[in-house]
Amino acid sequence: MEHGYSIKSKPQYTPLHWHEKATGHLLLAHGAGGQALINLLQQSLPRQQVSVLYLQQTAADAEYAAKMKAVLDADCHVFTAEASLQNALKLMLPFMYMGTRLYVAGAEGFIWSMTALLKPFGIAPADIMQQQTGTMARSVYCVHCKATTHHVTTNITPCAGCGSMLFVRDHFSRNMGAYMGLMVDAESPGELPEIEEIYR
Amino acid sequence: MNSINIKVAAIDQVTPLIKHFTLVKEDGGSLPAFSGGSHVVVAINIAGRVHRNPYSLMGSPLATDAYHISVRRQEQSRGGSVFMHDEVKVGTALKITYPLNLFSLAKLGRKHILIAGGIGITPFMSQIADLERMHADYELHYAFRSPEHGAFAAELAQTCGDKLHCYTDSQGARLNFNELLSTQPLGTHVYVCGPGAMVTALLESARDLGWPESHIHSEQFLAPPIGEPFTIQLARSNKEILVPAEMSMLEAIEGAGVEAEYLCRGGVCGRCELDVLDSDGKLMHHDHYLSDEEKASGKKIMPCVSRAQCTRLLLDL
Repeated sequence: MEHGYSIKSKPQYTPLHWHEKATGHLLLAHGAGGQALINLLQQSLPRQQVSVLYLQQTAADAEYAAKMKAVLDADCHVFTAEASLQNALKLMLPFMYMGTRLYVAGAEGFIWSMTALLKPFGIAPADIMQQQTGTMARSVYCVHCKATTHHVTTNITPCAGCGSMLFVRDHFSRNMGAYMGLMVDAESPGELPEIEEIYR
Repeated sequence: MNSINIKVAAIDQVTPLIKHFTLVKEDGGSLPAFSGGSHVVVAINIAGRVHRNPYSLMGSPLATDAYHISVRRQEQSRGGSVFMHDEVKVGTALKITYPLNLFSLAKLGRKHILIAGGIGITPFMSQIADLERMHADYELHYAFRSPEHGAFAAELAQTCGDKLHCYTDSQGARLNFNELLSTQPLGTHVYVCGPGAMVTALLESARDLGWPESHIHSEQFLAPPIGEPFTIQLARSNKEILVPAEMSMLEAIEGAGVEAEYLCRGGVCGRCELDVLDSDGKLMHHDHYLSDEEKASGKKIMPCVSRAQCTRLLLDL
């Protein structure tokens, strides 16, 4: 990453804090995002209903889940597969009212897969408070073959779809939840700049 | 500004105070298509002085053979609406701007709650045509003073069926915003158009219940208020202009032959914003566009509706 360089399409995340005005709070997180939710619950416990949907992936995550259960009891729902969390969320949303505010904490991929799930329910990205936690790894969308490569930590990556060596740009698509990847050696095949791990 | 030459094809007295004007192109062609919630600005020439008033388009956005606007007679104002009521006849030629939408539907919304007060029903007439075509989930809540003031209520009942909810003040029926907004499904948008107090109350209720700003929509065109005369200086045009009591700053600037940007002329769109370089008095902001911080800074002003109490107001124009 270059000093002093930023582009508008790159999402800005923010540490979670309670919306003062709300009739309910729905918190979604996975992995290290559990710590962000615990921090939030420690700030204060709002008067309104608080529900957590948490995706537990490692042994360390079980501790986060236990701490949240201790505070929220049955309103903390823990899942071990993202698909089950998504199904539960889809079943809950039609019964929720306007005034329920949404919060997401986790890796960028998780944030945007939740945001994409919420969109058909009429909830826009701007309505969701998002905190990035854990890895800085990126999802990269190949502009040539349209495949998405996940968990990219380097400035240049082979495309999971077509194998082209892609340069990872800061240009981000909220619809796809991925950064734009362009073939880096299109003009002079095989000539690659130095590959560095920069998104850990 | 590009304008369209139109003539009045029909006038209907809809309520004791509201007239409905059907406008067709002077040369008989079709008018530009628009989207639900759009308005046009009508130029009204009263004794050589041009008033420009924004009016919402009411017809179906797909019908481009004619535009439909409704005008409420405002006795306590500068005369534009009274002129429309008393002087404009079938056959009168007028100039209007191209349609502009500052009150569009959020097409991705799951449900739409439309709230109208009195003449505030007009932008919803075209929005409802869009919602019906989209087979969208919506409710129209329409409040008016007494049965004879419920413009288009019968027509709406036919189009909207049980989606229409009327509240007649004289019969004691009141719309409770908190009750209405507290049980709407996630993904709902609310739209309000009506008197100032109604819009303010709705916005407050929605915000208190935690509705995100992106789900709250309002439109309220303001007529330029009448005030004390004051003088402005234009830095780039090197002119000093007197703004009379019954004229807006924008009208005075145009009257002096200086071209200024504008779109809605009702304090909503932000196009006419001017930088204030210097002033020795108080700016009286009347618009809905500038933020409270911008208003307090004294660095910007919307000349379409705002005024000042000063002897010097230097504008970057």
